[in-house]
Parts: sequence; C-alpha cells; structure tokens
Amino acid sequence: MSIISLQGLKKTYKLGDNIVQALAGVTLDIAQGEFVAITGPSGSGKSTMMHILGCLDRPTEGKYMLNGKDVSSLPRDELADIRNKQIGFVFQGFNLLPRTTAVENVEVPLLYTRPVMPAAERRERAMKALTAMGLQDRYDHHPNQLSGGQQQRVAIARALVNEPTLILADEPTGNLDTKTSIEVMRILQELREEKGITIVLITHEPDIAAYGTRIIAVRDGKILSDEPNTPRSTLEMAPEQIMVTAN
Amino acid sequence: MIPGRHFVVLAFQALLRNRMQTALAMIGVLVGVAALVTSLALGRGAQESVEDQLRAAGANLIVVTAGNYAKGKEDRSDPDGNIGHTGALDPRDLAPPYLRTMPPLGARLEQVALNAQPFRIFQDRMAPQGAQILYPMPYGYVTSDGALAEPARSPADALLIPSHFEDDPLAIHDHPTAKDRLGDVTAGLGSAATLTVEDARAVAELAGVQHVVAGVHENARIFVANDKTKQWFTRYHGTEWALPELRSGWSMIHGRFLSKEDGEEKAQVMVLGKVVADRLFGEGVNPVGQMTTMWNQPFKIIGVLSSRSWASSPVAGDDQFDAVYVPVQTIDGLLNLSKLNTISLSAKSVGDVSRLSTQVKLLLRKRHKIGEEVPDDFTVTTMAQQAIGKGIPPQLARVISGNLQDIDRLTIEQMSSSLKKTNMIMLIMLAGVATISLLVGGIGVMNLLLLSVTQRTREVGLRIALGARRSDIATQFVLEALLLCIIGGVLGILTGVLASGGLQRFFSWSAVISPMSAFVSLIVAALLGIVFSVYPARRAALLDPIEALRHE
Repeated sequence: MSIISLQGLKKTYKLGDNIVQALAGVTLDIAQGEFVAITGPSGSGKSTMMHILGCLDRPTEGKYMLNGKDVSSLPRDELADIRNKQIGFVFQGFNLLPRTTAVENVEVPLLYTRPVMPAAERRERAMKALTAMGLQDRYDHHPNQLSGGQQQRVAIARALVNEPTLILADEPTGNLDTKTSIEVMRILQELREEKGITIVLITHEPDIAAYGTRIIAVRDGKILSDEPNTPRSTLEMAPEQIMVTAN
Repeated sequence: MIPGRHFVVLAFQALLRNRMQTALAMIGVLVGVAALVTSLALGRGAQESVEDQLRAAGANLIVVTAGNYAKGKEDRSDPDGNIGHTGALDPRDLAPPYLRTMPPLGARLEQVALNAQPFRIFQDRMAPQGAQILYPMPYGYVTSDGALAEPARSPADALLIPSHFEDDPLAIHDHPTAKDRLGDVTAGLGSAATLTVEDARAVAELAGVQHVVAGVHENARIFVANDKTKQWFTRYHGTEWALPELRSGWSMIHGRFLSKEDGEEKAQVMVLGKVVADRLFGEGVNPVGQMTTMWNQPFKIIGVLSSRSWASSPVAGDDQFDAVYVPVQTIDGLLNLSKLNTISLSAKSVGDVSRLSTQVKLLLRKRHKIGEEVPDDFTVTTMAQQAIGKGIPPQLARVISGNLQDIDRLTIEQMSSSLKKTNMIMLIMLAGVATISLLVGGIGVMNLLLLSVTQRTREVGLRIALGARRSDIATQFVLEALLLCIIGGVLGILTGVLASGGLQRFFSWSAVISPMSAFVSLIVAALLGIVFSVYPARRAALLDPIEALRHE
C-alpha cells in the first residue's frame, strides 16, 4: 500500500512580478517501508516537494494522499495534527531548542498532541526514544553540551517520539562530518528495517542518496529519474577514509 | 492547549532572555497597577470619609442643652439667680437644686477608716457643723490647708469633698462657682440645671425619635486603683448605652461600651477614651478588667473607645476621647444628681430633624411650665446650627439659626454634595493617571513581546512544524504577557499599598484598601497582559513555518 501518493502536483510562487513554478506536475507513489532519497541541485524544487510532503505547505494544483487521506486542502489545524502524529521531521540544522535539555527537546511534539498527554507519559516516551538513540545518559544535557552527531540523534529521537509512519529528513547530514553522516544513515536504515518506517530523505549529495532503496532525481520541478537502488551498506568506508588509508 | 508546566517555564525563560526589557515592561505594569490601587484606595477612603463626616456632623442629631445662652442677665427674675422663668412654678423649684434632692442632714454616705479612726464621710454641705473638711488626694485625705489628715481628735464627723476644688462650699471665689450657677438658666450652656431624667424619658416618647441619651458631665480626676501616682484630670460623661449610636465614627479598641443593664444596675463601670487609657496605662495596653477610682469610688474598666476611621480620629481640641464614660444612673446614685447637662437624641430620618426639634422644644416648655412670653430654659441645637454658629457672634448665630428652619437639611445636603464633588474630581484625576500609566505599561508589554516574537521566529517555526496549532503558539505568548503582568501586578499592588499608607500617614488622606480592590487590580493587570499581547501573539501564530525555519 502506498503511504504517499502525489498526482499532478504543482506549486507556483509569486516573487515580485515573476511567477516561479517550483513544482511543475509531479506524480509519485511511495510505498510503506521505502527509503526514498530525493536528489537535485538547489532550485530544483526538492525543498518545495519536501514542504508539501511535510504538510507545511499546500500545493497550488494536484492531489496529495497521505495514508489514503487527501491532505492537499485540509485546514491548518488538521495539518498541524497530521504533522504531529504521522510525520517526523529531521532538519539539517537539528533545530533543537537551546537552554532546553535533550529529553525536553524530545518531548516538544508530545506537548502538542491531542488529547493532552500527561507529563509522566511524555517523559516516559521521550526517554524511550532517547534510549533507542543510545542517549539515555545524556538526557539532561543541553544541546550545546552535545556533539553534532548527538544533537542529530536527539533530533531523530524527537522525530520518532510520536511513532510516526513517515520520517522526512531534509539534508540531515548537511552539518555533519562523514563519519557521523554514516552513523545517521545507519540509524535511518535501521528504522526502516526494524520498524518499517517510511523514510523520505532530501539531499544533494549522491553518496548520501545511495543509502536509500529508491533514488528520485528532481530538476526544474519535475521528476528526472526514479530508480530503485541497492542501498549502500553503512559498514562500507567513506571515500575520504579510503583515500586516507591508501596514503 | 492547557498551559502546562513546560509552557510556564518557557514563558519564564522567554522573560529572562531580555532581562532589561522585561524589567522595564514590568515597571510599566507596576506603576499602572500601583496607580490603580492607590486611586481605588483613595476613592474608597474619600467615600468613607464623606460618610464619616456626615455621620460625625450628626445629620440626624439634636442636642438639648440645659440653660439658654441667648438669654441676657436682665431676664433674671430672682436676685439669687436660682430660677430663670416666671411661669407657673413648682414650689420646690424655688429651693436651690441641691436641696431638692438632698438626703436628710447628717446622713452617712460612706464610712472610711483613716489611721484606724472612723470618719463619717459626707458629701459637701450635708455635713454637720464643726466637721473637718477633707479632700481626697492620691496619697490620702488632706485638710483644706493641704496637710495630711490627722487622726480625728474624737470620732468626729468629716466632710469629704468629692470632686472639684471649686466646689468647696467654704472657699471664697471671685466668680460664680458651678454650684452657684445651679438652676441659673443664664449661666451658660450646659452648666445650668434645668433638664431632668424625666425630661429625657418624655422626649423618648415623641414620634420619630430613634435614640435618646441623657447626659451629665463634669471634670474629674481619675486614678489607677492600685497605683495612685497614676492619675489624669479629665472629664467624665454620665451617659447611656445608645451614645455610640449617635456618634457613628466611634469604635471600641478594647472591650465594650456601656450596656443597658449597666445603667439599670447602676454598675460602677467605666469606658475610657483612648487618651485617658494611654495616659493611665500606657499606649497600646489593654486596661479592660482593671480598676480606677473617681471620687474615691472604684470603677471597673470595661472598654476603651476610639474612632473608627482616619477621618474622625482625635484632633487637637477634640476631647471626646480625652474623657471617661460611666452610666448616668451610676452618677445619679453616687452624687444624687437628678439634673442633666444634656439630652441628646437622634431622629429616625434626617429630613425629620426640623420638625422633631420643634416638638422637643414644645414638649420641654410644657414640662418646665414656661409661660408664653418667657424664653426657654434650655437650648435645642441641631448639628447644622452648631456648624453655622462656629466663629460667628452668638447674636448673629441666633438670628441665622432662628430664621432658617430648614437650615440643617440645607447645609447637610450642600456639605455632602460639595464633598462628593471634590472627591469626584480627585478620583477622575487619579483614574486618568492610572489609565495613562496602564496604557504605557501595556505598550511596554507589547514591545517586549514583539521583540520576543522576532527573536524566537525560528523556534516558533519549529513548534509549528512539530504540530503546534496557531492557538498553541498564540497562547504561549499570551501566557508570557500574563506572567509578566501578574508579577508586575502583584508588585504594583504592594507599591500601591505602600503609597496609600504613605499618603495616609504623611498627608492625612483617607485611603482604604479592600481585598476586593487588590483583586480587581490584579484582574486589570491580567487583562492588560491579554489585551496587549493579542497583536504580538497573532503575529507569531500567523508565521509561515517554512520562512520561520529559515530565519536566522
């Protein structure tokens, strides 16, 4: 069953007097348990696609079915609930709240869950998500006391805390070194393999896209290619490391 | 969204992020709320003060005083000055008043032991010829030349002078003494003896009368019973239980006032004015239950009297709290006085005062058998007339009050309306200051929140992305403002309480803070927070999450 179904999706922006077409008719189906990497250079429309997939933006034209429900024209508050319960976001800049502990950062989505969740349950679920990321000992650390990889793992814990069916990762390795990037990719692969969570990854780096089971290349608001992929193993060494070894 | 602990903590964090701006905004709220609290306090104080002044002025009060100051000496019909009227007379009225009520000559009133020798104690002129004259002093009885009394040569009869040196019957005075003036209607207000307890009872029967209080008063020296070195020369009032009803500004700081039963039982009980209590027992000491003596008679203290509010607190020259109050019947029993200095009464309604004072006048003239052409041997005064009479030559005052029958109503209403008008102007000014301060405070709050929204744009975008609804975001900022305003409001209430206290203390303004006005001020502060956070909160809630997440 396809978790995401896009039909003739178009998005136009008005920038001053110019009308920019960010998406020019995208039709796409993503099945549950896929690890889709969407690649493309900047300005290709992959970010717009990501925003629409994440229910942060609505298409100008076309239809977006999420878990069998048309969400392309839902009111804002319902979109907020869908983001809260069905989608987990992982951002390039981590977007953790400063002066807030790791566990409290993970709890943030639960604060907006309806019906209201008791504080004890929020804490329990947040600790569980942190434990899954191996950060249970760091729960009371503030983001500035954590490394980049640890921060991104807190962010992934936050994305997972409400047990979504879909994780949207927007350049999740953009601010990380190669070793940590591979670590993050391994976590995403494990989530797909062990929990069957669908993952949509946006990246402009081909070697990051290579960790997906399917690679979609976007250009000028259209799908350029859509190929299944044999995911690269995270046990494999990164190219830089190979070079270091060669020397 | 239920603002859980997290959001309160968040609001605190947000406030602490911009400490300077938060402090400034809070000061704005503080000043506004303090101004509001103060103006409410002054408003209420002014209102109570008007009410007190009207009550204190005795809008419904009529006082009948023995004697008639309007009378000239030429009206004296008796060269001895004993009577002031020539109407049909009771033969007893021709006798000096003390003879009318005097017990048989030689009767023993009290027997005291002095140096183990019995003295027979008589009240002034009732002693037999040759009796030794003794005066009660704190340290014992003294003779007329000031020496401590010797043991009597024989079990002699002694004459005890109960009160004032001026009352010494053997002393020669160059002026008429109080005793000389008994029965003399021209002697002056209150000092003549023309009113009786029966007059008071008769007045009480008139329609429209609320309370009647018979009163005698004279100077007396009050001693602490077990420490004669502590004494105070003051004025006693023989009065009745209803007196506080006529003086609404009064309150008991300790104990109670005289009761009806105290009078019926001729109980030797005493209510001290605050000044007397402070002088005899020290400031703030509760003397209830202790004993005093007056004319060597023991009196039990049952209460201490003071004023209820600032407006009617004792001022210089106001002797109502530099006095003691005992039942008039007790005085009557001890001194055999049947004459009263005053009869005070209150009308059930203020508008009835003119009619009632005329009724009282007619009734007393009838009872005193005063002929048509003969002037009153008493004076009926309403408080308005007294107010007008102040500072005006008596003749003029008489003309004014005599010719304006409704003067009491007129003046009371005028006084009330002019007081209210003045208060209203003051209140409008204060309310204006409070409103402007609150407005400035509100703008400060809004400014702080706009800054906060700008600084936290990215955070707001993140929260929206993670599933916060618009209302969640708006609530968060409103909560922040609410927190600021409630803290500022509480500090403002404290400041307002201090300011009101200061105004009261240093400028004698009447300020009354009620829990209700503090509560209202806090609500106003909270509303201020909500109203002035609407715009910034709305701005935050309407942020586009995509734009907001890109914001640096």
